[in-house]
Amino acid sequence: MSYKRSRGYAVFLIPGVLAFLLIVIVPFAANIGISFTKWKGVGTPEWIGFDNYEKAFHDELFWASFQNNMQLLIAMTVIPTILGLLLAVFLYDNITHHFGQRATSVFRAGFYLPQIMPLVVAAIVWRWIYQPNWGILNWLLDAVGLEQYQRNWLGDGDLALKSIMGMMVWFQLGYPLVIFMAALQRVDPQLYEAASIDGASWIQKVTRITVPLIRPEIYVVILTTAIHAMKVFAPIYVMSRGTRRATIVAARFSYKNFFEVPQVGYGATIATLLTSIIILLTAVFMFIQTRQERRENQ
Amino acid sequence: MRTKLLKLVSLALAITLIVAISGTSAQPRAYAQDRVFKLWYYEPADSAMGIAWQNAVEQFKVMHPDVTVEFEEKVFEQIQETGMMILNSDEVPDVMEINKGNATAGLYASSGLLTDLSQVAEERGWLDILSPSILTTCRYNENGIMGSGNLYGVTTYGEFVMVYYNKDMFEEYGIAVPTTFEEFEAVADAFVEAGIVPLTLGAGDIWPATHNFYELVLYKADRDLISNFQFLTGDVDFHGEAFTFGAEKLAEEVEKGYYGDSSTGVIYADSNAAFVQGIPPMNLTGSWAFGGFISQITDFDWGIFIMPGKQFNTGSGGNLWVVPENAKNKDLAYDFIDLTLGTESQTLMANAGGIPINADLTQIEDPKILELNAAFASIVENDGIAFYPDWPVPGFMDVLGGGLQELIDGNLSPEEFLDSLDEAYNDYKSSLE
Repeated sequence: MSYKRSRGYAVFLIPGVLAFLLIVIVPFAANIGISFTKWKGVGTPEWIGFDNYEKAFHDELFWASFQNNMQLLIAMTVIPTILGLLLAVFLYDNITHHFGQRATSVFRAGFYLPQIMPLVVAAIVWRWIYQPNWGILNWLLDAVGLEQYQRNWLGDGDLALKSIMGMMVWFQLGYPLVIFMAALQRVDPQLYEAASIDGASWIQKVTRITVPLIRPEIYVVILTTAIHAMKVFAPIYVMSRGTRRATIVAARFSYKNFFEVPQVGYGATIATLLTSIIILLTAVFMFIQTRQERRENQ
Repeated sequence: MRTKLLKLVSLALAITLIVAISGTSAQPRAYAQDRVFKLWYYEPADSAMGIAWQNAVEQFKVMHPDVTVEFEEKVFEQIQETGMMILNSDEVPDVMEINKGNATAGLYASSGLLTDLSQVAEERGWLDILSPSILTTCRYNENGIMGSGNLYGVTTYGEFVMVYYNKDMFEEYGIAVPTTFEEFEAVADAFVEAGIVPLTLGAGDIWPATHNFYELVLYKADRDLISNFQFLTGDVDFHGEAFTFGAEKLAEEVEKGYYGDSSTGVIYADSNAAFVQGIPPMNLTGSWAFGGFISQITDFDWGIFIMPGKQFNTGSGGNLWVVPENAKNKDLAYDFIDLTLGTESQTLMANAGGIPINADLTQIEDPKILELNAAFASIVENDGIAFYPDWPVPGFMDVLGGGLQELIDGNLSPEEFLDSLDEAYNDYKSSLE
């Protein structure tokens, strides 16, 4: 299509571009602007240059919050992607072969169920499950004679984040599973048959055939869940209030500064840093993915 | 030709979008007959205040049949965290309940978000109803420090922190109500010995443990320290006797098992629920829980005592009615405040287990409620009102409550905890100079 002809269609972009400007670019620019000021939300912001960024750099809570985000990355991206892939292959191969398509659908729906629940609702339910005195988890441990493993799941600072991570694995798992199961439809069964004849093990088939063939889907899952892990807020806020070093995350830390303290300028600084990290993460991923695709096409 | 048409269509789309976004400002003004009075508060419906204020709403509807009342029930944390943002918007209610103290009411007042009620209060006689110790938390100066300056809020009740105890359990274990701090510790030790967690505590929420801590601090505090701490009038030594005693004693109590080993995993509502179910024998919390306990506790007899052997007690005038500067119906707001201060509403509140400031006390028969009001009166008479520890500076709740959670957890030593208080408090204080 020539440049001249394509220009005619450019006008269709105007509504989208306008909305993008108004809803994303302008507030983001304003946020960056505010991050250079000292401001409590009303009154006149006072320009302080890079002071907020310097403060963040030395702020123990700031580093603690990003460290916790990194841990959540394990629970929301790494474990669900690996587990989701193995489960998808297992359901697709074994369950469908032995019990039929219907059984697979039931399992798939079951694993996906948490995803259709509002995250806040899931978090409230898990708060009850983890309740130390009458929560079902401690009750269950007691019932099966494992009372020495009863814990103050969300109250104990050393354990709180791990408890939330456990819940997030449960919550996230269905998403990669469903995507990978759809992707598996694309894989030619003859490849597996050929591999079997050559004596390949189950795990070899997964790593040598499945993974390379559904790589685009894996990239999408990793990228979207990683972004989700970086900006996670609701489960932390609901399950532990997230005010302590043990469970605070970047978004919660930003919220705290915006609304509770209130140091709006500092809150904006953290929001800006968080957004920059997410954009960087996305860029790196897109770069790796494009390079990979190009290599495959050659 | 075609491009021209496309340009036209997209222009039309863009205009629609802009109009849609820039929104609702073109709405016609409301006329008198469809005035809407917006009211927000966060006292639970079954609390004494909730009951009294619902009654005030009914009275208000009779008084203003042409006005629609739009009531929204909020929760404490919601207003505590987003109050500033709400008050700074166009969507403010006409009257709302906010938490008193420098960190909230003071911050809003000094930011110009609240209506100065001094004039109205004089005209409507509110100043005759509110006693000086109650008024402390209603006045804020230009720095947002309470105690002096204009009147920005009106409270309709008093409140204080006490220990609720399960009389049946005390009797069962042959334990008497303590009259000194040593006796209080002996009571708790006796329950621990019997394998019972003596005190319920919802440290999963950030604020409840601040009351346990401050009650201990007050054992070693004097009026000067309290004034300096609350009104920022002088230096406060966080490593001095009072605060050190509070932090170390609380850590010691945790160590001795006074609160069990999972209080940081229990939220406030669950902690109270445990007391209502008759599990722990004691519950240190505020008078706002009294009304709820009257209706909820049916299986055992219960009573109250204030932490014994000290002059000062956590407590103050209640939360404030404020009229946002941006409120649209200020006259209606004043009428509503009038009603909540009126004898009818106040007596109703007293009978529901509240601490009224303008009730006809002869109409109260329940001995429990008389006991509650007598306890508050005794604190006021002794000049013992010491306010709440999270008030002095904005954001202090976070440092204090969050720090106490870590102290209870054992992740923070009393020394480190006091360091963090010192830093947050003096950071803000020096920013005022």
